[in-house]
Amino acid sequence: MADHQVEDGWHGSSVTESHESGIPGEGGGGGLQWVTVDGPLGVQQEEALKLARNFFYGGFCLLPWLWFVNCFYFWPVLRQRESDPLIRPYVLWSGVGCVTMTVVLLAWSLTFAIGGEDVFGSSWKHLAVYDLADKYSMAWS
Amino acid sequence: MTEGSILESLGSEIVGIVTPVSICMLLVVLLVQSLTPHGSDAPVASIAMLVYDEQPTDSFTEKLGGAMLNALVFVIIVALVTFLLVVLFYFRCTKFLRAYMGFSAFMVLAYMGGGVVVLLIQNFSIPIDAITFLVMLYNFATVGVLAVFFSKMPIFVTQGYLVIIGVLVAFWFTMLPEWTTWVLLMAMALYDVVAVLLPGGPLNMLVELAIARDEDIPALIYEARPSARNIAPMPNSPHSVSINSSATDLAGQATQIPPRWRRRVVTAPPPSNASIQLPANAVNESAINQETVRPVGISALRTESQPQPPGQAQALVPPHSTVVMDGVEGNSRAGGRSEIVNIEALLDDVAGNGESGVLSGAIKLGLGDFIFYSVLVGRAAMYDMMTVYACYLAIVAGLGSTLVLLTVWRRALPALPISITLGVIFYLLTRFLVDPFIVNLSTHYVYF
Repeated sequence: MADHQVEDGWHGSSVTESHESGIPGEGGGGGLQWVTVDGPLGVQQEEALKLARNFFYGGFCLLPWLWFVNCFYFWPVLRQRESDPLIRPYVLWSGVGCVTMTVVLLAWSLTFAIGGEDVFGSSWKHLAVYDLADKYSMAWS
Repeated sequence: MTEGSILESLGSEIVGIVTPVSICMLLVVLLVQSLTPHGSDAPVASIAMLVYDEQPTDSFTEKLGGAMLNALVFVIIVALVTFLLVVLFYFRCTKFLRAYMGFSAFMVLAYMGGGVVVLLIQNFSIPIDAITFLVMLYNFATVGVLAVFFSKMPIFVTQGYLVIIGVLVAFWFTMLPEWTTWVLLMAMALYDVVAVLLPGGPLNMLVELAIARDEDIPALIYEARPSARNIAPMPNSPHSVSINSSATDLAGQATQIPPRWRRRVVTAPPPSNASIQLPANAVNESAINQETVRPVGISALRTESQPQPPGQAQALVPPHSTVVMDGVEGNSRAGGRSEIVNIEALLDDVAGNGESGVLSGAIKLGLGDFIFYSVLVGRAAMYDMMTVYACYLAIVAGLGSTLVLLTVWRRALPALPISITLGVIFYLLTRFLVDPFIVNLSTHYVYF
């Protein structure tokens, strides 16, 4: 009598109706039983698709961390090639985007940190956080 | 038999709640030791210092009296804000509460988190540039707000962000002057007892309202994962603490209830640096049936019993305990008189709608309790690590006993009093008795 619509898609697209071992984790068997990394505690199906899509589009607001969380969340989908064909593209492209942005950011940040004043000249002082913090007497103590 | 089955899983559930508390305390101790090992030089102005600005040169009575006044003012303000919260909850201003909470969470993570990170950068001379720093901070804060309030996310991420919010607010609190901090802790413990247990207390009223309406309390609440035993996909309610296999056999046609973690996303209004804000409210999104948001903010330990699924009268379902902790956090900027009171509450939904009890089935602890435990331990760290160990043990002992009491009393319980009292006693004993003893022994080589 419980009106839990989610239960209809509880077993997802699993080919085998293998039960979970009772520990949150990834699904077993041929198909994918749990699409999220939370296993039986996570979302399923329509809700999962909505989340994956929202996270993917949200990450375009300069949020590579959100893309990373998306990949982490749907790790079981990412791992298996033939898993959920609806969710997988979003998660895959989130991963690609995350890696790209991280590489760019890292390149800039390392150039800054290692290059230092040699590369940047006097403008280094204008960008380094501790110099700016001292200049504006930021922080509390 | 019921007792035995509760105790069986109680261990893993306690571990599930003691671990994040310990992590929070550890992080605060680390921050305190690296950034302000002897207390903050320029304590931030805050509501807790409205009345009396503590100076190191004041006399004993002056300090004590001033600290008590400060604590009194703080508790009164917290109580007022909680009543305001009750009123707002009563009039169902959920959108406003939700927006407020999201804003507060963002301010905590961005402003206080940014402040702490800047302090760390200065302390350790990390050569990071402003652009990278801002991008990372923006990412961190945005995903944090989404994780805690607005969206479903991996459990680990949500729990992690809750702990981080606790760490940030607790670190801010440790910057209050010493006497004020200790008296404030005691005052908050007392307030907790009154607010949760007395019928007229605001938190009690909040809980009652939430139960009456069968709504959830919006609050910053940490929810542990349901223990593994609760997750078995049985046709029966999977959140039974005791796996009554006989019950599952009897269940027969009972619909399968998927286990839930945080079925309702509870959020609490994090502190913001505007003027006194509302206490944290948890915004609950009913996962299945309604889309209403239910704000409630209460901290207490609460046990709920799982309603019997239909057709399974024989199944003895042991009650689940939900821990709700009362928490209040204040936040203020230097020069600003803003404080946000976070009253975290957790009211587990008692799914009293006749369906099989779909409960989150895990222990929940309000974030305020995290914060005040960590404040106590952080203050202890400013003296010596010996006091830290003693206070940590005291707090964990208090928490454990509160959890045990929860299974006995099965109602919302305040989580602060026992732990804080033990913590303060142990701190005083260690500082004034154990410390001189040990130090003298070491220096005079009585023991080798």
